[in-house]
Amino acid sequence: MALDSLMTRKLQDPPVVEVDIHAASDEQLMEMSREMGLSLSLDEMKTVREYFANEGRSPTDIELQSIGQAWSEHCCYKSSRVHLKEFVFAIDHPDVLARGDAGVMAFNDDYAYALRLESHNHPSAIEPYGGAATGIGGILRDVVCMGAQPIALVDPLCFGPIDSDAPLPPGAKHPRYLMDGVVSGIRDYGNRVGVPTVSGAFFFDDRYTGNCLVNVGCLGIVKRSEICNNFVGGAGEVLILCGGRTGRDGIHGVTFASVELKETSEEESRGSVQLGDPITKEPLIHACLEVNRLGLITGMKDLGGGGLSCVVGEMALDADCGAVMHLDRVPLKEEGLAPWEIWVSESQERMMLATTEDKVEAILDVFRTWDVLATVVATTVAEKRTTIMWGDEKIFEMDLQFLTGGPEYCRPYEIMMPQGEAGEVVPNLPANEKVLLGLLSDPNVASKEWAIRQYDHDVRAATVLRPLVGESNDTGPGDAAVLRPLHDSWRGLATAVGCNPWFTSLDPYRGGMSAVDETCRNLVAVGARPHSLTDCLNFGNPEKPDRLGQFREAVRGLGEAAAFLELPIPSGNVSLYNESPKGGALPTPMIMGVGIVEDVRKCVTSDLKEAGNSIYVVGKTLREMGGSLLYRLYGGEGGEVPSVDLEALKDKMDLMLKAMSKGMVKSCHDCSDGGLAVALAEMCIGGSMGASIQLKGLGDLEPSDMLFSESNGRWIVEVSSDHEEDWIALMGAHAQWVGVAGGPSLMIHGGGIDMALDKLKKAWNEPIWKIMG
Amino acid sequence: MENNGVKRMRPEEIKVCVLRIEGTNCEEETHRAFAAVGCSPEMVHLNQLTGHGAASARRSLEDYDALAFPGGFSAGDYVRAGAIFAARAKSALGKEIKDFVVAEKPVIGICNGFQILVELGLLPATDGISDVPTAALFTNDSGRFECRPTYLRNESRGKCIFTKKIGRGRTVMFPSAHAEGKLMSADRRFVDRLEDNDQVVFRYVSPDGRSAGYPWNPNGSASDIAGICNPAGNVLGLMPHPERALDAYTAPDWTRRHKKEGDGLAVFRSMVESLSP
Repeated sequence: MALDSLMTRKLQDPPVVEVDIHAASDEQLMEMSREMGLSLSLDEMKTVREYFANEGRSPTDIELQSIGQAWSEHCCYKSSRVHLKEFVFAIDHPDVLARGDAGVMAFNDDYAYALRLESHNHPSAIEPYGGAATGIGGILRDVVCMGAQPIALVDPLCFGPIDSDAPLPPGAKHPRYLMDGVVSGIRDYGNRVGVPTVSGAFFFDDRYTGNCLVNVGCLGIVKRSEICNNFVGGAGEVLILCGGRTGRDGIHGVTFASVELKETSEEESRGSVQLGDPITKEPLIHACLEVNRLGLITGMKDLGGGGLSCVVGEMALDADCGAVMHLDRVPLKEEGLAPWEIWVSESQERMMLATTEDKVEAILDVFRTWDVLATVVATTVAEKRTTIMWGDEKIFEMDLQFLTGGPEYCRPYEIMMPQGEAGEVVPNLPANEKVLLGLLSDPNVASKEWAIRQYDHDVRAATVLRPLVGESNDTGPGDAAVLRPLHDSWRGLATAVGCNPWFTSLDPYRGGMSAVDETCRNLVAVGARPHSLTDCLNFGNPEKPDRLGQFREAVRGLGEAAAFLELPIPSGNVSLYNESPKGGALPTPMIMGVGIVEDVRKCVTSDLKEAGNSIYVVGKTLREMGGSLLYRLYGGEGGEVPSVDLEALKDKMDLMLKAMSKGMVKSCHDCSDGGLAVALAEMCIGGSMGASIQLKGLGDLEPSDMLFSESNGRWIVEVSSDHEEDWIALMGAHAQWVGVAGGPSLMIHGGGIDMALDKLKKAWNEPIWKIMG
Repeated sequence: MENNGVKRMRPEEIKVCVLRIEGTNCEEETHRAFAAVGCSPEMVHLNQLTGHGAASARRSLEDYDALAFPGGFSAGDYVRAGAIFAARAKSALGKEIKDFVVAEKPVIGICNGFQILVELGLLPATDGISDVPTAALFTNDSGRFECRPTYLRNESRGKCIFTKKIGRGRTVMFPSAHAEGKLMSADRRFVDRLEDNDQVVFRYVSPDGRSAGYPWNPNGSASDIAGICNPAGNVLGLMPHPERALDAYTAPDWTRRHKKEGDGLAVFRSMVESLSP
């Protein structure tokens, strides 16, 4: 091997190698990056060489590995940061209490909630069960290290078509297999740790074949006085590593997440998928929250991407300190790990605590009662450097600002002009009744009960609204889940997901805005005031200018919408390099929103309640067919992507919430995929009740456009007959009467639809059960 | 207070041990259920009873008046559900738990707690406490974890101390969430003997109280049995979760029809009444 001549053993047992980076040619630098799995570019390798030239020595393998982790896209956001700074980071709000591993927002005077959404895409594409399970494990730790008790999980997932048996590209796994594995992984981890999975979403499209997206979100609740820092209190403290042992699982996870998946990813990168163990996590959560509650720690951070190599430096540097790490004290799963493996391993179920010397015994006592390992592994020092000792031998010493600073790029991007109606191809449609059944049974719309019932959405006994609403075991889709986190208060937290990857692929700016609009609509539909957002931005390879252009435009759209609506984004995650042998995955700016419910007893669900009540459509329907389910299913192309009118949205949200607080609204449903017709059908399905609807009055669009356009900013509302006059006065021109609830079928006059309830139920309920078994 | 030789307690005097190990995950809401009816519950880790762990946290089972095994996935349930918790409890505390039951102190096991009581031989215990399990809670017929609302008819003819305030034949809603809830036994006369002894406490029914198959019976349990008690009536095990039905606003259909409170409270109230009539 060409690199052998550059390597000298510095330590025999365990093996530490010194690498003569100064003697390496450009080719050898790149080979070094590749062979060692650093994923660093030539320029980055040269920067590293310069650093060690100034230090007057050669690096060790563990030092190079540490840089590879810290400078990965996953850890330092080197391609995305510049755009996020421009559009997202600046949105401020007095209720933002912390922007740490999870964001923390004020809930009431005494409590706060934590929120975060992140991706576990690449591991799940290789090993769906383990990838998804450890995704849950990771997001729980992000919330716990803010001092918060996790109270809800949210899982938006994107797969290739599950109902197709078309040949797959080499190396890709069947979407059905992936979905089954991912749902099982979420189920077995989430159910075991006892955190309810209350919300999520499924997206199916061929452009996710070979690169599924597994996003995992979590909400937590914490007393404001107990919000925990993710850094040490200062020099002279100790770091305690607690939870699981460290092993060879999860090596190079972050660098694997920062390259494209390819045919051989399975063989090369299986070792980067961590192994989850919820039954180590469950008591670990208890013990960590207990020592925080008792005031025994100064800071806490989870070991996620990059493992120890990231956590030790970041915890110290954020408090302007450094650390001396005793790597030989780390409890291991097996013997024979090289120091660099221990340092970068992403083995699960580990947390790092910072504390002062006098509190160590009390902390270890708590961990003993919970049968959880806890070991003092490092001390903090005033100088901003990390030193690693193996016994008496120094094997690592680096400046922390250099190590964690990482590069930041302004890579070239290309912005595609949306085609709008210019490139529109209108599909040939069958009769509207047939279209409605087709849309209802498309897996993107059809009932997700198959997955939902496998998740415990009730554990912790605080779930007020679930993902399915209506009669027991005879339900329709809910818009947002609602939790009541404190048991002496009726104040609630609502959470919902919003994203339209098809809009985003045709018009990234409107796609980004639409994601915010939809998230807000979902929250308002249950009676929650949108309060904060967290995002997981899943895009393609940023080194390809068109992919980065999509990213920038989507971020601009969602940033502008969030800023206008005064919704801070106190945490977030970027997942780039979502590409498969077939091309880029659909650009997917996933948003998880959180809303505040003043009184959960006033929450509204989407199922129709009472025959004779009037039904209204709130918001304007325009001819905006681009990216619609109708066009995707029936071969339409291009078209205008739904626009967002932020001012009107804000007004409508305020009015809707007012109407709900006064008890005017009996049921309400967000209008999105499949348009008015699908939303009406879903309300009938959930309410086990038909409706009689008139299209005239809504405008003069073609019936199929009126029924299936996916214009933003719309809800369908059933109004209590006692309050109808007040409702009309309140909503004015925003609401249009369209009909009444009741009867055995959904009749849409002027739309050519008269469909019996049981036909609608069958079309919506059965498809995914049949596909997944 | 003493009355006819039976100790009468005020609700707040009733100390309830809510026992947990790693993977127990319904202890907080179980604790809340007992607190809601005025008792003094405490979450206790098994290590605190066995003396393994910090000395200051040491507790003794005999100091408690009632014992609850909450739901969850104790020790991960990677072997038969409840088996590891039961084995650990038995080896360290077998005699104390047996004495507790023989003294007719109330014991409730919910979901994983029911599985643990069966593994401990405390249920069904038709022929007395058994050293080996005489029944099992087997994998659901669907082969899947099932989280759904379930409706239960109170079948107890009066022996079970946990259902006295529910009323015989009344239907209540407690949600279910489990993968292993199908009650089975090798004894063919198992159901008859439970019936004869008044040990059948809850049966799965449809919302209007009639016998119905899946999904109303989410696991395929024999004779739709959801919960049983021991012959003395002081030990109850059930798969559905009464502690998840404490207030009206966690019911699955509360936006359609409104109740004053959750159905689950009556279980805990009944226990209080049995100790403080």
